[in-house]
Amino acid sequence: MRADVVVVGAGPAGLASAARLAETGRQVLLLARGNGFTHWGAGAVDVLGRVGGETVDRPLAAIDRLPEGHPYHLVGREAVRDGLDWFSRFAATAGLTHAGDPDRNRAQVTAFGTLRPTCLLPEPAAGPGTGSGGFLGGRVAVVNFAGFRDFSPVLCAASLRKAGIDAGAASAPLPAWDHDRYFTGVELARAIDDAGFRRRLAPGLARAAAGAEVAVVPAVLGLNRGHEPWADLQTLVGTPLVEAATVPPSIPGLRLFAAYRARLEALGVRWQFGFPAVGVERDGDRVTAVRSEGASRVQATRCQELVLATGGVAGNGIEANRDGTLTERVAGLPVQGFDGRLAYLGDRFLAEHPLAAAGVRVDAELRPVDAAGEPLATNVHCVGGLLAGHDPTAEGSREGVALATAARVAALLAATTVR
Amino acid sequence: MTHLMETDVVVVGGGVTGVAVLRDLALRGVHAVLVERFDLGTGTSGRWHGLLHSGARYAVRDQESARECIEENTTLRRIAPHTIEDIGGLFVLLPGDDEAYAGQFVEGCKASGIPTEELSQAAAHRREPLLAPDLKLAFAVPDGGIDSWSLLRSMAADAEARGCRVLVRHPIVGMERDGDRITAVRVHDAVAGEDRTIGCQWVVNAAGAWAGDVGRMAGVPITMIAGKGVMVVMASRYVHGVVNACRKPADGDIIVPQHEVAILGTTSVQVDSPDDISVPPADVDRMIDMCAQMVPAIGSGRVLRAFAGSRPLYKPEAPAGGGSGGLKGSPPEGRDGEAGGDTREVSRTFTVLDHASRDGLDNMFSIVGGKLTTCRQMAEAVVDRLAERMGVTEPCRTATEVLPGADHGTHQQAAPLARVERDQAYGELLCECELVTRGQVRDAVASGLTELEDLRRKLRVGYGPCQAAFCAWRAAGILAEADGKDPEGSGEPRGDAPVDRDRDPLVGLERFLEERWRGQRSTIWGDQARQALLNHAIYRGIFDLRGTGVPDEAAAALEGPA
Repeated sequence: MRADVVVVGAGPAGLASAARLAETGRQVLLLARGNGFTHWGAGAVDVLGRVGGETVDRPLAAIDRLPEGHPYHLVGREAVRDGLDWFSRFAATAGLTHAGDPDRNRAQVTAFGTLRPTCLLPEPAAGPGTGSGGFLGGRVAVVNFAGFRDFSPVLCAASLRKAGIDAGAASAPLPAWDHDRYFTGVELARAIDDAGFRRRLAPGLARAAAGAEVAVVPAVLGLNRGHEPWADLQTLVGTPLVEAATVPPSIPGLRLFAAYRARLEALGVRWQFGFPAVGVERDGDRVTAVRSEGASRVQATRCQELVLATGGVAGNGIEANRDGTLTERVAGLPVQGFDGRLAYLGDRFLAEHPLAAAGVRVDAELRPVDAAGEPLATNVHCVGGLLAGHDPTAEGSREGVALATAARVAALLAATTVR
Repeated sequence: MTHLMETDVVVVGGGVTGVAVLRDLALRGVHAVLVERFDLGTGTSGRWHGLLHSGARYAVRDQESARECIEENTTLRRIAPHTIEDIGGLFVLLPGDDEAYAGQFVEGCKASGIPTEELSQAAAHRREPLLAPDLKLAFAVPDGGIDSWSLLRSMAADAEARGCRVLVRHPIVGMERDGDRITAVRVHDAVAGEDRTIGCQWVVNAAGAWAGDVGRMAGVPITMIAGKGVMVVMASRYVHGVVNACRKPADGDIIVPQHEVAILGTTSVQVDSPDDISVPPADVDRMIDMCAQMVPAIGSGRVLRAFAGSRPLYKPEAPAGGGSGGLKGSPPEGRDGEAGGDTREVSRTFTVLDHASRDGLDNMFSIVGGKLTTCRQMAEAVVDRLAERMGVTEPCRTATEVLPGADHGTHQQAAPLARVERDQAYGELLCECELVTRGQVRDAVASGLTELEDLRRKLRVGYGPCQAAFCAWRAAGILAEADGKDPEGSGEPRGDAPVDRDRDPLVGLERFLEERWRGQRSTIWGDQARQALLNHAIYRGIFDLRGTGVPDEAAAALEGPA
């Protein structure tokens, strides 16, 4: 097998890189072990939510306050803006219009009733108002669909009240359906894709939301039809509906993943899912092929360029060993280890963890470097969570770094000759 | 002075020994009140590997303990089968192990009344396929697994049904003495935040590893040795029954399958305080490497947690003046033990201290040493002495009176799955790892449980491989609903009740997550590192919890066993 570019990893960074490289006319093969943080995240585009524990209002401006070596510094603010612009266009074209402004953070309501700082939000999560935090004005009804176990309106409403929001909890009955005894968010979202189901669901939801100016519901309003089921249900109910982020799998993330997949197929990107990359072949300072698991054997795909979007420890791009050393799983790139495994993590779970920021050090062209800062391979580029020097969770920077580094890689490789 | 209550006997300590004492007193018609500083089973009784000893472990070196164990093993199977997994145990002899020891082992078991059956290599592998391929032979013994929280709950419920009281979250803060007698025990009601006194005729100190602290409050010296043992929890069972190394007891020589996990044990190191339950990573590594000699798959297995418990080892005072040592149990031999020393040489048998003859304090007994397997016998020994002094002639009935819940027979490993299948409760699962349903949680909350910690000990919520990633917040939602704010299904926007900071469900959840974290710190690498960062991405990333509800000192002092 051969490809111009092999992209390894199908999280936010790998998907965006594959799409953008294919848009430049490159022949791309995407290899992925499994799903990434589209499925595991909040379904928003975080750019920079916190620096030093303090909430950020202006994410692009706050990049200046990040420590040296942060991926944003390597790619520059314009790449961040480019990444977000590209994403907004791509998502809107796919029927997943996002609200928000790269220069201004906004709040995303969660199933816990917390308001997390983020940058771009899919319309169903964005709420009717504009600006930060003000989208839950007036009386708010927090409504669950009866029997859905991943949302507690009481818990959510109690926290919102603590934040000064006039919130009450309620439950809306579900119409009879195939899964009346056992259902997950995915099944409920799939049911809500059906217009007839929505018509039967709306009256109960309207009763539960009566008197409220906004209804907060779990993020399950449709799976395969973009934002149309949300918009339709909102019209039927007559009250603005806001989707609250809940535990994985993220339904908004699944919608986005499906949009990426459709886009990659339209661009002719080949796609091997469930077959992890396990090694590379080299010739001097170049990688010549990627080895990946196949159905019955390890196969090698020859390539001109390799883009590693395998994630950090959380994403499975890096293995944290028992003795405090770290191993990059595909190309064996060096990763700064720790003084024993106790140093991986903080003493408190909800604090920050050094391991989350572990990653591969790269140069300005996102090529992995050795301890002296010299590139280890001239045709390997690292993007997203695999990069050292950022903590996607604690900073709230996961999608922003993914999109910005994908933008940078697309620009770099567009400048090289297409074979 | 008016007291909170008056009773005949105050029992100090809510571990298995104290609760067994309470039940013994209740069955003899004596009114008693048990006081416990945290919840039942939060000390050594909740921080151990769950082995129902056959006694074989002590058969070579400590036959008195061995005999106590096999006797009580038989008794507990009769009175508390629902708390027991009847899984049996093996002692395996590996290449390099001393064959002479195997001979002593068989002889010792015989002398102690422990039945053994020698198994060939092939027979041992038929029984436990994951055992080391090169093992030489194995001996089957009647070891088992026992769920101490289930045992505690049953014994406490029986005692309370007979009129005795259990006061949890009531640490003892002092004793009131009138000459040679204690007249009242002073406790701190940690929930109400007030000190209270309980008037009493007698006191039984069953505080286990903390017995010395209680002795100090009463003005009597009791020297306990804190023998810390580190244990490692693996994400799956690996073995059907208990597996022991057939050699002189040492670090990492036992694997106890329990519910869905296996527990590797253990170290035995003297520490300065029973509250020292720190887990050095090197101990975790040694447990894994040693146990992997018996079951090689453990070497590359997924580790969930590690925890430590403190053995309640008793060191008799050197005879001086009129003071005598214990009334039962031979004086332990071997080293005095100093911090850092191996405490395996200290006997695992138990001792009743009558402080009247020993210290001139007329109305207090202490019960020290022993093991979970022998808790009932320990209670019998101390209550026999107490009853004699009280003039109570009712004999001990704890060995024959079956505990509530026992009519279901022994606990079967697949029981939770069978229950879920019977009730078709797949959709009602709140915790996929441990197969806990929403109905079970709602019932438990309706019965008065208010904390995630309590739900964990009762239902195993949060025990599984994901370490509470998904169940904790679902359970927190049910707790919040039970606070009487908005019953699900009301269909009406409600929930205007003010949020009580102490009952803030997010604070309770944050506390629970921090407690779960403590036991994971030393075992996070490989898959568990991914799991930990995923959990962090959920609770901090998606839900934006930052732990501000749990002050540092509270996080440091979080109670509760692993």
